[in-house]
Amino acid sequence: MSRFWQWVWFTLLALVAVSALAFKAFQPVQVVPRVRLAPSFALINQDGERLTSEDLRGKVVLYDFTYTRCPEPCYDLNATMQAVQSRLDEVLPADIPMLFVTISFDPQRDTPEVLRAYADSLGADTSRWVFATAENPDLLKTIVGAGFEVYYQPRQDGSFQFDPRFVLVDGWGIIRGEYRYETLISNTDRILRHIGVLADEIQNSKGAAKLAYEAAHLFLCYAP
Amino acid sequence: MKTSVRTFLLGLLAGLAAVALLWFGYNRLRPYTFHGSVMQSPNPAPEFTLQGVDGPVSLSDFRGQTVLLFFGYSFCPDVCPTTMSDLAKAMTLLGSRADRYQVIMISVDPERDTPEKIAAYARHFDERFLGLSGSPQEVAQVATLYGIYYQKQEGSAASGYLVDHTATVMVIDRRGYLKLLLPFGTAPEDIAADLQHLR
Repeated sequence: MSRFWQWVWFTLLALVAVSALAFKAFQPVQVVPRVRLAPSFALINQDGERLTSEDLRGKVVLYDFTYTRCPEPCYDLNATMQAVQSRLDEVLPADIPMLFVTISFDPQRDTPEVLRAYADSLGADTSRWVFATAENPDLLKTIVGAGFEVYYQPRQDGSFQFDPRFVLVDGWGIIRGEYRYETLISNTDRILRHIGVLADEIQNSKGAAKLAYEAAHLFLCYAP
Repeated sequence: MKTSVRTFLLGLLAGLAAVALLWFGYNRLRPYTFHGSVMQSPNPAPEFTLQGVDGPVSLSDFRGQTVLLFFGYSFCPDVCPTTMSDLAKAMTLLGSRADRYQVIMISVDPERDTPEKIAAYARHFDERFLGLSGSPQEVAQVATLYGIYYQKQEGSAASGYLVDHTATVMVIDRRGYLKLLLPFGTAPEDIAADLQHLR
């Protein structure tokens, strides 16, 4: 009988060990959720060139939405875009391409020339931070309002009422993060942390590790 | 003697419980690896209503069935026939379970693809496949929300023009949530396996 009990204890210990190992294997893997599809679009950038959602495939993109006459600090939108860019090398390896895109929902006033002047006034490197508005204003509400879920409404005086929002999209065109209101942690910190988590997944989700990453998606192991 | 029987039974029970727990844990921790990208959509996929050959068709008409959504056009020379025949093969592999799935192809060339034309095109691959079209504005709205970019390439083919378009197949579950993205070129066997593992 004592041998039997040894066996029972061995099984229980093995169970604990296996659980601990499994926990060790899966616990450190965090992911940012695949929320939904980002909309497709054809935009026109600050140099009058076309920028489509297909051009951005394979790149991590952080979007924000505004209009150039929004009085600064304008919800700290530009300041956040600048802060994320300046600290990007802390979280993103150089071989993962990333772009920043500011979309104006005021295509009538924000022509390419206005967008170019705006980019220059912010000291933006437009090879990395692109300013654009819709090529076809009819589809703008579908792209920004329905697709990116950014509420905006023109006021009588030509200004806009809108919900500030940043959207993080991966190279597959899938929305991986949406940032609206500042919580106790600043948007800059949250965005940077999520870019880091996404970069880890892009770099490591291969072979056996892919299992752990896909499991993290199934079990909703989301980065806070 | 009585106590030894009791301990034996208790031990047996504990052993069985441990095995059951291990088995359960193993099954939980060994997830099926999907060939497509699994989505965690918190909201249902965008609703649409477009023209089928027998009248308007909405995504919500298919609650209870899994919808495979693909955007293409009937003049498409390579990508669309490949994808559509792969989907048809996947349906054949699923056999009698294929009626749980509905393949819908939406035309990104509504100017040339009438509902009749795109419906006939889709049916050519499988009798059960649906082809939908609509006004250029309606199609543009739906394609935008599903992240499908398309662009006419004028004068690039003998048949008139080609349309470049995103060729992902989207899998929308029985409750209307986007669950899976299948990239272009996913093998029919892999599509069938992924569909069977969708919860």
